[in-house]
Amino acid sequence: MGRFILKRLALLPFVLFGVTALLFCVLQFLSPEMRAALYVKDPRQLSSLEAVIDKYGLRKPVYVQYGVWLKQLAHGQLGYSETAKMPVVDAIKEFFPATFELTCVSFLPILLLGVYFGTLSAVYKDKLLDQLTRFIAITGYSLPSFVLGLLLLMLFYGKFHWFPPGRYGLDTDLLVHGDSFRHVTGLLTLDTLLNGDWAAFLDVLKHLVLPAATLIYIELALLLRITRSSMLEELGKDYVRTAKAKGLPGSMVVRKHALRNAMIPVVTLSSLLFIMLLGGVVITETVFDFPGIGRWGVEAAQQLDIPGVLGSTLLAAGLFVLANLASDVLYAFVDPRIRLE
Amino acid sequence: MKKLLSNPSSLAGLALIVFFAAVAVAAPFLARPPKGARNPYLIPQDGYSSEPARPSAKHWFGTTESQYDLYYGMVWGTRTAFEVALFVVVTSLFIGILLGGAAGFYGGWIDEILMRGTDVVLAFPDLVLAVVIVSVTRPGLFNAMISVMLVSWPSYARLLRGDVLSIKERDFVAAARALGASDARILFRHIIPNCVYPLLVLASLSMGRIVITAAALSYLGLGAPVGYADWGQLISLSRNWIMGGSGNSFQYWHTLLIPGAAIFLFVLGWNLLGDAVRDVLDPRQRS
Amino acid sequence: MRPLYPLVCLLMAFSRPALAQVKNPDTMTELTIADADTLDAAWQYDTGSAEAILNIYEPLFWFKGSSLTKLVPLLASKVPSRANGLISRDGRVYTIPIRKAVHFQDGSLMTPEDVRYSLMRFMLQDRDGGPASLLLQPLVGYNSTRDASGKLKPNAYRDAARAVQVKGDAVVLRLPKPYAPLLSILAQWGLVVSRSWAAQHGDWDGSEATWQKFNNPEKQATAFYEQADGTGPFKLERWDRANHEIVLERFDDYWRGPAKLKRAIIKSVPEFGTRKLLLQAGDADVIYASELQYKEVAGLPGVRIIENQSSVEMNPVVYFTFKINPVGNPYIGSGRLDGDGIPPDFFSDKNVRLGFADSMDYAGFIRDVLRGHGTQATGCIPVTLPGHNPRQKTFHLDLAAAKEHFQKAWDGKVWKEGFRFTILYNQGNNEREVIAEILKRNVEGLNPKFHVDVRPVEWPQFLDGYNASKLPIFTMGWHADYPDPHDFAFPNMHSQGSYPLAQHYSNPKADRLIDEAIASTKAARRRKLYFELQRIEHEDCPHLLIVDAVHFRTQRDWVRGWTNMPIFPDDPYGSYFYQLWKAPAAKRERR
Repeated sequence: MGRFILKRLALLPFVLFGVTALLFCVLQFLSPEMRAALYVKDPRQLSSLEAVIDKYGLRKPVYVQYGVWLKQLAHGQLGYSETAKMPVVDAIKEFFPATFELTCVSFLPILLLGVYFGTLSAVYKDKLLDQLTRFIAITGYSLPSFVLGLLLLMLFYGKFHWFPPGRYGLDTDLLVHGDSFRHVTGLLTLDTLLNGDWAAFLDVLKHLVLPAATLIYIELALLLRITRSSMLEELGKDYVRTAKAKGLPGSMVVRKHALRNAMIPVVTLSSLLFIMLLGGVVITETVFDFPGIGRWGVEAAQQLDIPGVLGSTLLAAGLFVLANLASDVLYAFVDPRIRLE
Repeated sequence: MKKLLSNPSSLAGLALIVFFAAVAVAAPFLARPPKGARNPYLIPQDGYSSEPARPSAKHWFGTTESQYDLYYGMVWGTRTAFEVALFVVVTSLFIGILLGGAAGFYGGWIDEILMRGTDVVLAFPDLVLAVVIVSVTRPGLFNAMISVMLVSWPSYARLLRGDVLSIKERDFVAAARALGASDARILFRHIIPNCVYPLLVLASLSMGRIVITAAALSYLGLGAPVGYADWGQLISLSRNWIMGGSGNSFQYWHTLLIPGAAIFLFVLGWNLLGDAVRDVLDPRQRS
Repeated sequence: MRPLYPLVCLLMAFSRPALAQVKNPDTMTELTIADADTLDAAWQYDTGSAEAILNIYEPLFWFKGSSLTKLVPLLASKVPSRANGLISRDGRVYTIPIRKAVHFQDGSLMTPEDVRYSLMRFMLQDRDGGPASLLLQPLVGYNSTRDASGKLKPNAYRDAARAVQVKGDAVVLRLPKPYAPLLSILAQWGLVVSRSWAAQHGDWDGSEATWQKFNNPEKQATAFYEQADGTGPFKLERWDRANHEIVLERFDDYWRGPAKLKRAIIKSVPEFGTRKLLLQAGDADVIYASELQYKEVAGLPGVRIIENQSSVEMNPVVYFTFKINPVGNPYIGSGRLDGDGIPPDFFSDKNVRLGFADSMDYAGFIRDVLRGHGTQATGCIPVTLPGHNPRQKTFHLDLAAAKEHFQKAWDGKVWKEGFRFTILYNQGNNEREVIAEILKRNVEGLNPKFHVDVRPVEWPQFLDGYNASKLPIFTMGWHADYPDPHDFAFPNMHSQGSYPLAQHYSNPKADRLIDEAIASTKAARRRKLYFELQRIEHEDCPHLLIVDAVHFRTQRDWVRGWTNMPIFPDDPYGSYFYQLWKAPAAKRERR
């Protein structure tokens, strides 16, 4: 087991290297002028375009620029993100907690609701509950997050003014950045509580409702489906039939035997899902103007802010590798038949 | 096939897809392009004012920002949706089969290289990679399709590789090998046909995802240009209007709900169909 | 206490509605779309940064009220003029007496040395793409501290030091030759920073030995990037870059007396819907709303629209490229005059340009897109500046004349063969898109063989095509660096200006007029020269001018004290917070 984990961890640098190399390959398509657009935004600056290109070394071959970047990396620096207007390392520290908070708030409901209703749906196959669950799953799976997000905004912000976009309102903003506020975890829900400020806590929570609701509805679908189908598969197996035939009560069969085995793909999927959310939920964060990794990454990508893209993708890619590893390890725990090698 | 038609939900999915296909085919009759238009996909504009107009006899679905006729956009956008979905699925399936098959069959360092390659692509948040590719190659519908294709193939490759690996060990493959069949013959006659069903299931299921990803790119302003009949593009035009006008929060509901409903139903259709196809093709699901 | 209780209740009952009307009474929140780039006065060249910076730092002079020509002293104690003898007779020596007893926000006293340091730093930092040339050109006579290959000019420090000297309580500027707009440049760009603060925080200490180290730095490397110490009415409380907001706090010891507002927030919110909602809820006091969004903010309860605010800009302008770069150029079709493209020198034929000029529906554009606000531009010098000639002849939509021009163009070949090319506009700019569409429709209507494609491009692609002169027609605009006709004449008409360079347009006569006007300090003479320049402009037609635009400001009706300062960054959306305060709106203003 230990060897397996070490072996997989050793892969991490390779994947990260691949990710950055791939990005720089894509950059080959960019003209120096296009990359300079990050620094030259005003018509008044047009006359010094060439100078800007030279200053940032944009005319050099891409592999030379990659070398420069790698050298920087060796010094623990990830460069400066123009879109975040801060060094990449600071940007990650700034945006990651927001994404982490949103992920935590959304993930638990997804997991609980998904497993619970997925199992019920399989047990009561083709009953009303099953139909309902499947309906929710298939609609959630079919609804683009930006459509759902905009709809929610239209209703709960435009009409009722309940849940505004962003991460917090003005009062909380002033409080959080005030001198007396203690930053403990970086998660504002916890920090506001630790500082004993209920109003701010509610405000932060209010801002989490819509993006979390969007994520829950859309990501729930996949988990529901997987739980249900995996459960169905187990319930159809001989050992369950045998157990039932032997007279074991149905619920016990479900709980003791089927559920445990059916959980294997669910565990894999949910650990992947968690990390996928952590890597930044681009569209949801964009729609709700939520300052997380995803919004930053996509903004950087749109503006060709290369250090920004590299930073945010490195983070997401690193998490992805770790998540895969974690899911494999979990897999082995849940399913004793599997041996890791 | 009978199974497909007997199940109400797959029937509904089929009906939706048939409906959209009919709209796509009949687009020139349903929404006649204005005379002299060189590209029927460009939505006609009725004036320059930015404020969307509500549905009326002249504009059945109203107009969206900058007076683009929504009805026209919806009808021709159906064609765009099909083009995007089919193109991306077919091309990424092709790449996936090629690379995944080779990796699974040959194993060894080929497998290692190809799978590390898919690892790298999979490690990207797919939308971010797609956005990078489009931004670099310049925004546009075709580039958006290419970028979605480039981020979707790894899942096919992975799946196929896994299946090829397991089937490779089965008796009938060993038998074929013992009989002296060539690599290509074994791969294409014995192995791939046996793992093509899961692949098709995945493809039909991912149809909806692909439409959504492409629409998301358009929503971010990286897909079709403004005024091109594309649902995602039309939704992004509604962004400024979801708060409604003074006094009526739902004044411009049609700018979001109509294209939103179209995408939803289109994707729903594919998903229902995909589910049904899986139930039919995937023997493990048979009960 | 007890007996008073009913009274208090009564008072509260009466006073509450009035008080409740004003949310956050001593904080002003402004929502913009521009995001600040830096807080360094020498680095900034964008409106987002400039607005915050001009609330923190102060120049030597500022414009009086809404005027663009009359200056009042700010950190100077007098505005130099020939009449008061502070400008020498030959127009080359300016003596600027500096105000005394002004303190920086860190408590130190501002001295003429600080002024000298600030002007020197502005010139010598000279980052690529920055504003340094605005002072370098008048004070040392060249545009950059580096030569074309990027090497430092060794004498730059000495030249700057010779031009800017301290003499007693005054700063004396010596120019290589007279430069008419110098004072209005200083009013906008000569912001005073503290030399000692800079040195303490690791920025340039003002010495000759170290200036090279601070030349053309990385943005985040300057001490002023995210910290500030000015003399202005507001201190920097915090620049929250993750949330795109700058929070300013009142500087209580401000030399003109403390501001009425305790706090001012400038926040960038790109989504209009969000801005509008925050305004409606009273959480924002001022928001940016474009012409496109007028209908959505007009008539909102508690919101006041202040219409018809003049600007110092020429936007949009449609430029023709005289010599298009044909290498790998997707915008000119076949590259020949065969009906399926255009030759690279297509627009060098004046008749082609005039044909387009007569096909533009100027009045219709102003009527439909700008709701009838603004007037047609008559020359590259905006209506708000001296040198503008209201009687200059302009183009009008005249399709018959357009047809005639196209028939004559390229000896009739254009009319016979037809053409095809692409007009580009930057994505998301509605006005520019509409202009392209109008041109397309009208020109294509003249002859079925005329084909104009209209394509949006993202800024990077635009820049790419622009720099390589690949764009046949492009639409851009110009916002004033400082309110002087030269700032518009040069970039639009001088063969060394940014646009003519990209267009490959040059007219020696225009160059001569511009060169003469900048060196002349007599207003009447300059006016005559600029009139002549704009006559040539109309005749040559190197670009199409559309409108002298006016804008509207959107704010809560409880915002008081705002007067238009057309040259202020992002005016009329931007705010000089010192003049503002909040008080319940008078009844008559409510709608």
